[in-house]
Amino acid sequence: MMGGTTTILIVFTAMVALLGLLTSMRPEFTAARGGKIMAFVALCILPVVSIWAGFHEQVERSTSTQFCLSCHVMDKFGKSLTVDDKSFIPAAHFQNNFVPRDHACFTCHTDYTMFGDYKAKWRGVHHVMVQYFGTIPKPEDIKLYTPYNNRECLHCHAGARSYEEASSHHKTPDMLAKAASNELSCTSSGCHDIVHNVGDLGDATFWTPKAEPK
Amino acid sequence: MTARLIERRIRWSGRLIAAGLIVQMLTLLATHPLAFICFALVGCPLVGAGILIFLYSLVEHEAV
Repeated sequence: MMGGTTTILIVFTAMVALLGLLTSMRPEFTAARGGKIMAFVALCILPVVSIWAGFHEQVERSTSTQFCLSCHVMDKFGKSLTVDDKSFIPAAHFQNNFVPRDHACFTCHTDYTMFGDYKAKWRGVHHVMVQYFGTIPKPEDIKLYTPYNNRECLHCHAGARSYEEASSHHKTPDMLAKAASNELSCTSSGCHDIVHNVGDLGDATFWTPKAEPK
Repeated sequence: MTARLIERRIRWSGRLIAAGLIVQMLTLLATHPLAFICFALVGCPLVGAGILIFLYSLVEHEAV
């Protein structure tokens, strides 16, 4: 269903397109001073505003779970969010609303740094290019470019009582400090190491979310 | 002659911008990677080309 912002943007874009067409049909009126100003607004300022707003909307949409899972190769990763097994980290986060369900992928796969969102989106553009113009790998062969950084986990978990006071996080006195400095990986130190594991979904059972109340 | 050339460029500029914005409108109807690609590879270049042609016509007119 189309949101209010999208509707406004579509109407605005339609109006700017119409203005551009009208200007192209009667270019002779740009001979007058007022016509020049109007042409500058219609053929330069408004299109720039419209494209900027469209770009912003497209980038915002590309952070949605629906967008990420629209590529067939991501099917199994989407299914891993609903595995009925809380040892699967993405499933535990998705099913318990630890991440917003409509932006589940992006919440964990962006970099929480100054330009992290842009870097993540640039990687996303590369993925989209591979989807349409490249050789699509098997889901099992898809790996992270770099080891998962604890910074992304601690963006939410740092300071949380459930994280700070969990006995499993105090097996050694400096465990939290090592996790904070990324010296001890959350996901590859044998603790939270079941992530998407798309190769192991064959025998899994799946949870079905109840329809949200209206 | 110069005025006609400017008018012709403005005509093309308006058409390209309108075409690019129509592509943008269509891509806003779906949340899909293909819509993103169409917006980035078709819509944006069309609008960009239209704006550049318009600005070029202004600059060239000033130079003449």
